[in-house]
Amino acid sequence: MSRPRPPRPPRDELAEATPHGVLYLRRLRHAQLALSVLAVVAFGGMLGALPLALLLLPGLAGVRPLGVPLPVWLVAVPPFPVFVGLGILYERRARGLERAFREIVGDDDAA
Amino acid sequence: MIAVVAIAAVTLGALGLGAYGVRFARTTSDLFVASRAVSPWFNAAAISGEYLSAASFLGIAGLEMKLGASALWLPVGFTAGYLALLLFVAAPLRRLGSYTIPDFAEARLGGRPVRLFAAALVLAIGGLYLVPQLKGAGLTVREVTGAPYWAGVVAVGLVVALNVASGGMRGITCVQACQYWVKTFAIVLPACVLLIVLGGLPERAALFGRELPVAPEGGARVELARPAPVTFPRAATVTVDGAAIHAGAGEERTLPAGELVVPAGTTMPVAEGVPAQTGRAWSRPVAPGGGTASPLFVYSLLVATFLGTMGLPHILARFYTNPDGAAARRTTVRVLGLLGVCYLFPAVYGLLGRVLVPELYVTGETDSVVLRLPEAAWPGLGGELLGALVAAGAVAAFMSTASGLLVSVAGTSAHDVWPGRSVRGRVRRFRVAAVAGMAAPAALAFLARDVDISVLVGWAFALAASTFCPLLLLGIWWTRLTLAGAAAGMVAGAATATGAIVAGLAADPGAGTLAEGPVDALLAQPAAVSVPLAFAVMLAVSRRTRPPREMQGAMLALHLPDGLGPSALR
Repeated sequence: MSRPRPPRPPRDELAEATPHGVLYLRRLRHAQLALSVLAVVAFGGMLGALPLALLLLPGLAGVRPLGVPLPVWLVAVPPFPVFVGLGILYERRARGLERAFREIVGDDDAA
Repeated sequence: MIAVVAIAAVTLGALGLGAYGVRFARTTSDLFVASRAVSPWFNAAAISGEYLSAASFLGIAGLEMKLGASALWLPVGFTAGYLALLLFVAAPLRRLGSYTIPDFAEARLGGRPVRLFAAALVLAIGGLYLVPQLKGAGLTVREVTGAPYWAGVVAVGLVVALNVASGGMRGITCVQACQYWVKTFAIVLPACVLLIVLGGLPERAALFGRELPVAPEGGARVELARPAPVTFPRAATVTVDGAAIHAGAGEERTLPAGELVVPAGTTMPVAEGVPAQTGRAWSRPVAPGGGTASPLFVYSLLVATFLGTMGLPHILARFYTNPDGAAARRTTVRVLGLLGVCYLFPAVYGLLGRVLVPELYVTGETDSVVLRLPEAAWPGLGGELLGALVAAGAVAAFMSTASGLLVSVAGTSAHDVWPGRSVRGRVRRFRVAAVAGMAAPAALAFLARDVDISVLVGWAFALAASTFCPLLLLGIWWTRLTLAGAAAGMVAGAATATGAIVAGLAADPGAGTLAEGPVDALLAQPAAVSVPLAFAVMLAVSRRTRPPREMQGAMLALHLPDGLGPSALR
């Protein structure tokens, strides 16, 4: 590519987008947003509860797997696999929503 | 000596890989976005390599040693930022097919002024971030090899500028991906080996019990280059150049320059700004009361890092190198995994450092704990080898972050601020911008040699979080965002963040990142106020103005699944 492509499609192409298609696309956008917000709520619930739980349960510091207090373990290790798990779930669902959209608009390559 | 070889190997390796990458870098698209052909695993390694800066590599362990387990929220927040990117930004931003964030701003909102304003922000954030990278490289190389400060700055600056100017995004993708593995290896292997050599965590009582850090067996020796103001948490007798100094519990003293010896088992005096904490207090990630473990500070930090990461222009620029939106998502999921692996280990260095190198509490230079630890824990060849590995990893960290920053600075300069008309003109200007973009921060790094510049990273982060984060979130998901609204919100966010940082500096020039009360916390971490304010201004002003005409087209491009043109909507 020799020069940057203008990011918005040309107007005549846009004119072909019928109100019907635009409606489907708006539904897709809303569905994607709802999915993302759901994921944030799930994530925020889990991670957001952690500081509060550690604050309210000072007794956890007495539990020491391998000699390290449990609160240190809880902050240092489990958040990372949870992030990856959430990411994988989200990616799958988002792909599913797009597949459904392709089918509605009748794309032949819907896979 | 081994360290010099290791650092030279990493530096030459980066140059070699960069030279190899040059063969593929011919077109503008190569230079700016690596022709959008980087596969997810490769790209994820490059993104992680770029993101794991020295702040993560050295800083988290240092902060943990200094402040306690509350510092462990940092890696959590840094990783969570990628979840936010994945959920709201990655795929749509890539689909719009722009080259830079200012491109996105103009395509979505229309109007050249907004592009220029966004470009100015990219340059400011990139510049603020580059200076500490170069300064850190200079200090690390000096600490490890004894070479003068300028040697590290010049070496890292030259290699990065050469690689970026010659290979652009295409060239450095390869370099950064390899640097991720160098860093991971350099942080994971020494941590594991040291734990095995030591047979687990040493002296648990000092780590987690009622004790304060004490001088290890054989006493602690610290070379004080200048008089050091310290606090003695317990009564102690120490010697400086053989002269005994006796201090009562809680007494503040200024130790004269010279060799300080703290006898074995004596509680270590601590530098100004370093809290003397018992193991129990130190190991609490959250605690009632003030300080960095207070719930307010922890939540504010988590929110700031969650939202701030998506505003960092050098991170966003990497997303344009994905083949399509779906690949951008897959890349981000892999980044979450790669970052998680690396972020498990800084905690180990902080824990070990508290017991094994407590002399860093006297000077307050806990940032060098990762570099000092291997030789302190395992005297002899083994420790020296591990120390060399860690130093090489740190230099790789400075280089990969600096390359990413320089690509985004050069890309924005040559694309948005000073675009060339012909292909050759654009390529040439990209190269000129890469060299100039490195020269200015390098000069600043020389000037700021003895100045504490840790505040610059916080400033850059706050700027990114309070301008680009609301611009992207609302621009992608809210059709009614207008040019006036976005501009007003970004100006308000940038002004508030900058104002708070400047006010914080004026109130207490030496404050750095140590926040004592809620007000200090907000001045040092203004994102908690400036981000909501930027959102509010964008929403309020947009409601009162008309959305731009071409908005429909940009929204289509953002959200239409990959491979479907607008004709699919027939």
